[in-house]
Amino acid sequence: MMQKKAGPLFYLFLLVFVFFVMFPFLWVLLSSIKPLSELFGDKAFNWFTSHPTLKSYVSVFVNYPFLRYLWNSTVVATITTVYTVFVAAFAAYAIARLQFKGKTVILGLVLAVSMFPQIATISPIYMFVKTFGLTNSYLGLIIPYTTFALPLSIWLLVTFFRKIPFDLEEAAKMDGATPMQTYFKVILPLAVPGVFTTSILVFIAAWNEFLFALTINTAEKYKTVPVGIAMFQGQYTIPWGEISAATVVVTVPLVIMVLLFQRRIVSGLTSGSIKE
Amino acid sequence: MRNEKRMERLLGYSLVAPAMLLILAIAIWPVIQSFYYSLFDYRLNDPTKSSIHWSYSLDLEGYLQNYPFLKSALKQEMAAADEQTKQTLAQIERKLTKLDAAIRSDDQVAKQYDKVNEALDNFETPSNELKIAELDKQTAERLTDTVHDVIQTLKEMKKAGELQHADKVVGLAEGLKGVVIEPNFVGLKHYKDSFSDMRLWKALWNTTFFTVVSVAIELMFGLGIALLINKAFFGRGLVRATILIPWAIPTAVSALMWKFLYDGQNGIVANYFETIGLVDRMGDLLTTEAGAMFSVIFADVWKTTPYMALLLLAGLQTIPDSLYEAAAIDGATKWQQFTKITLPLLKSSILVALLFRTLDAFRVFDLIYVLTGGGPANSTETISILAYKVMFSQTNFGAGSALAVIVFLCVAIISMIYIRWLGKDLLSDGAGAKR
Repeated sequence: MMQKKAGPLFYLFLLVFVFFVMFPFLWVLLSSIKPLSELFGDKAFNWFTSHPTLKSYVSVFVNYPFLRYLWNSTVVATITTVYTVFVAAFAAYAIARLQFKGKTVILGLVLAVSMFPQIATISPIYMFVKTFGLTNSYLGLIIPYTTFALPLSIWLLVTFFRKIPFDLEEAAKMDGATPMQTYFKVILPLAVPGVFTTSILVFIAAWNEFLFALTINTAEKYKTVPVGIAMFQGQYTIPWGEISAATVVVTVPLVIMVLLFQRRIVSGLTSGSIKE
Repeated sequence: MRNEKRMERLLGYSLVAPAMLLILAIAIWPVIQSFYYSLFDYRLNDPTKSSIHWSYSLDLEGYLQNYPFLKSALKQEMAAADEQTKQTLAQIERKLTKLDAAIRSDDQVAKQYDKVNEALDNFETPSNELKIAELDKQTAERLTDTVHDVIQTLKEMKKAGELQHADKVVGLAEGLKGVVIEPNFVGLKHYKDSFSDMRLWKALWNTTFFTVVSVAIELMFGLGIALLINKAFFGRGLVRATILIPWAIPTAVSALMWKFLYDGQNGIVANYFETIGLVDRMGDLLTTEAGAMFSVIFADVWKTTPYMALLLLAGLQTIPDSLYEAAAIDGATKWQQFTKITLPLLKSSILVALLFRTLDAFRVFDLIYVLTGGGPANSTETISILAYKVMFSQTNFGAGSALAVIVFLCVAIISMIYIRWLGKDLLSDGAGAKR
């Protein structure tokens, strides 16, 4: 376990591992450029097509309101992220940095809420958005998304805030800065990477949400990407070509994002789960 | 100094307040309300049960669409009837008029009564708030009894052939049957019904089986992968990015992708599984009970093992190399190093990863909803799926909420067990302490 040098066998293992993880995507990518006739029947199991076509991609955007789904998801996920991270930043700062009674209880509550099963909140939330006419609207999703986005933001930000050295704050205090000044001038600039990481994770969580989106926004015009794609399947036929193309379209930006920010995402995912 | 402390405390509370209020309003309150809903026979598609009633009330729209017409129909009958029938009919009419007066004796009800009447005269549909009037128990019971008696009498008269337009009169009277809305409080009945329904036990079993098996496999593979890649090698970032991708894509999308790969006719994975003899026929994967459960677990393992590996890798990286070097000098074998150093020091990382994964798996919805829809024959129906179906397909909010509360309690119990194991580690406060 501690042979820190990697041998050829190790690279072979890595290759196999990466192949297994990526195989579904690879297959979907290959299928997305097959003509319809090669998705079914004998040719369905051929890896490569000799007649690559972009028909499925065109169809996704022409025959389905897929662009609309993408836009809806972007709006909902962005607003959810900005507003919850904003609210959470203050709370997390207080929990991580200030001394007051009951903060362990508060943090415990935050953690407990983040573990709530969505199904346990959905009936009252559904009745709420229905009563206020918010079904099929962006707000109708942003409000319920607070249930998981806010606890997640607070939890991640607390661990990031705690990592900032306490000496800095004391120095600021010595110089006569008020706590709010310390927060805006000293802590926040240092916490920017943490805030950014938190935002990525909250954005992904909001982008991927399914249950609320499925129940609250049922009109084509307001469906989000996960629900939109899942509803591609008709009653009798499943348009695999279009589904493959749509999957590729939503996966590519994610792949780019993950490649760019992998270090941050990993630090966010693992923060709070390990003791340093 | 004291003053400063107080200021800090005040600031702390005011900074936390907005977040706490939001969490209370949008997460905790709904859970309490779910429990409240679960105590009622609450159905969205049944107008008399589409909201929660503690008390009796009257559907004025239904009442006024029948009562005046019944009265005039009775009068018509009286005009054409013989003396004895006339008397009976007059008696009925008197009863109804008295009842109507009793209903209108309440000022609030009388006001609503007139407004609804006006709306109906103008062929408008009165709003829900307007048409439902609260009734005291006595009047409500009197209404129910009177209507029952009237229908009884009219039916007898119909049999005796004493009425000219018997069907119309009886129909109008029967229209008055559904106008009293009774309180739909049922107490713990939904829980009792759920627990005596085999479907719930099946769903609980499916959920537990799915959770235990998939999390166990994920832990095993995750730990193996983490141990293997816990070293410096070329292309580390790329590998890390690769294993993040299954975690990052929407579960619903990955479920659909697997549905394509498992497809009984065109699915490549199904085809390979048949070739290596894992299943007899390709179609078995999604159409047999065992096949479907296997498929769901396999897809979940694919999606979340990388995540597990990442969490454990981060834990592994906090174990100092010097420990292993010292152990090696003392002649410890690799296995001894693993059981005596790695596992004990990784314990809290493993438990945290297990906690998150167990809860996630127990709440599973998207994956199964899209991949199998809970089928075939409910063999992959988890408790969340069952609750969703009862709530939104059967529009039975009361019973569905009871199931949702059961999911909540299960999750609470699981977390409590883990937190017992973890101790206070998870929440320990770093503030003020030097690390």
